[in-house]
Amino acid sequence: MRYLKPTSIHEAADALESSRGTILAGGTDLCVYMAEGVCQPETLIDISGIDSMRGIETIQSGREEATVRIGAGTTVAEVAASEALPDCLRQGAQAVGSPQIRNLGTIGGNVCNASPCGDTLTPLLALDARFVLRSTAGTRTVESEEFFTGPKQTVLDPHEILEFIELPSASCARASAFRMIGNRKGQAISQVNAAVSVAIVDGVMSDVRVAVGSVAPVPLRLAGLEELLSGKTVEDLHPANLRDAVLEGVRPIDDVRSTATYRQEVTVALVFDALAACGGQRSGQDEGAGAW
Amino acid sequence: MVIRFTCNGRAVQVEAEPEARVIDVLRDGLRLTGTKEGCGRGECGACTVLLDGKPVNACLLLAGKIVDRDVVTIEGIAGEDGSLHPIQEAFLDTGAVQCGFCTPGMILSAKALLDEIDTPGVAEVEEALAGNLCRCTGYGKVVDAVLAASRRMAPGADRGGE
Ligand SMILES: Cc1cc2nc3c(=O)[nH]c(=O)nc-3n(C[C@H](O)[C@H](O)[C@H](O)COP(=O)(O)OP(=O)(O)OC[C@H]3O[C@@H](n4cnc5c(N)ncnc54)[C@H](O)[C@@H]3O)c2cc1C
Ligand code: FES
Ligand code: FES
Repeated sequence: MRYLKPTSIHEAADALESSRGTILAGGTDLCVYMAEGVCQPETLIDISGIDSMRGIETIQSGREEATVRIGAGTTVAEVAASEALPDCLRQGAQAVGSPQIRNLGTIGGNVCNASPCGDTLTPLLALDARFVLRSTAGTRTVESEEFFTGPKQTVLDPHEILEFIELPSASCARASAFRMIGNRKGQAISQVNAAVSVAIVDGVMSDVRVAVGSVAPVPLRLAGLEELLSGKTVEDLHPANLRDAVLEGVRPIDDVRSTATYRQEVTVALVFDALAACGGQRSGQDEGAGAW
Repeated sequence: MVIRFTCNGRAVQVEAEPEARVIDVLRDGLRLTGTKEGCGRGECGACTVLLDGKPVNACLLLAGKIVDRDVVTIEGIAGEDGSLHPIQEAFLDTGAVQCGFCTPGMILSAKALLDEIDTPGVAEVEEALAGNLCRCTGYGKVVDAVLAASRRMAPGADRGGE
């Protein structure tokens, strides 16, 4: 096995192009695959030495709106701790694995690994994130909603590196929340997770984004629900009102971790809970159902 | 290649492939066998070491990543004269050790926590230890030990007292 440790993104792109190697970020997914023998890379390209791919900054480029830019090599722990980032993304990052895993694992690795239950994916979808992909040919930008194509599958070409994740500052200004359910705290892989982001003015919701994970081969936005919620007040939120629109959007499966029916019901509860958190409401399902 | 890094406060160099796992470099290359391997998959935390002060799984860490960085293993936290670290003392006094296999990892996770927060609450201790599995103790005494250690280590605490 060859092990390369480039110190610049250009060097990394060149190495990837010429070697057809495998990118190694924190290694918390890749090292498990190697230990299990499901992946035996000929060349590892360790990107942890590329300083420009780490950290979180707000960039203002001329006429365009400000953007919060997260280096793909930023650790999950750093994302969870960053006050510059919206709640849903920090909460999603905090839900990843254990302290040890969050200290090693990167947000770029979570995105590129593209597990349907990855805990930062739904927050990124709810925040209208864009992914900046780098190759020797230059960069291209892909919307988060278009990035994931199947379980562990993305639009990333073998010679491309995820360099940055960009969040439009407008989406960072909205209220947001992440909710997940798993077997136990710490290490638990989400059985279902949900992230919402919404602008609330005088109790009225607009710019609603709802993303759910582990209920389809890719993390999904629930467009029907987003439309339904737009213009409604937070006081009127109730699980019964969300249920149909949530179930319409999701396509859960039975698997080793839980059943499809369970996942559906839990999704409704999690989406409601996250929306209620955005509205500053006490969550819970104890109040009577109002009709829209 | 020669991997150079700081291990337990001393500059070391060891012959290893950059794709070797740090757990193997420590145990086989440097004979620091206090770091344990349980699952080898990032799930049990028995292999926890501190990398630049932060707990990480040595079974998922490749040698090429520790070049020029600071690694602390369980062998590195006792005093120069061999006196135990207050967290080690608290684990012994509280009865937080049964078979002991998880203990090095538990203690290093606890150390990383107490280096950040002087007086953590139960929830913070539990969160800090979420990546460390124990098959023996039921965790209650481990949490008690970390809380006891935090009281002993708190600025102004009487070290001999408890
Ligand atoms: C015990 C355990 C518990 C876990 N719990 C959770 C959990 O609760 N939630 C969760 O979401 N995940 C969890 N994970 C999975 C993993 O920790 C995360 O997905 C992590 O964010 C991966 O990041 P990494 O830097 O370690 O990726 P790596 O393992 O380095 O890489 C993952 C994949 O992405 C590719 N890649 C990485 N970075 C880039 C890049 N910049 N450009 C192109 N390709 C790239 C690699 O080639 C590889 O295929 C867990 C893992 C373990 C071992
Ligand atoms: S041996 Fe490393 S986490 Fe279990
Ligand atoms: S004391 Fe035996 S595993 Fe913890």
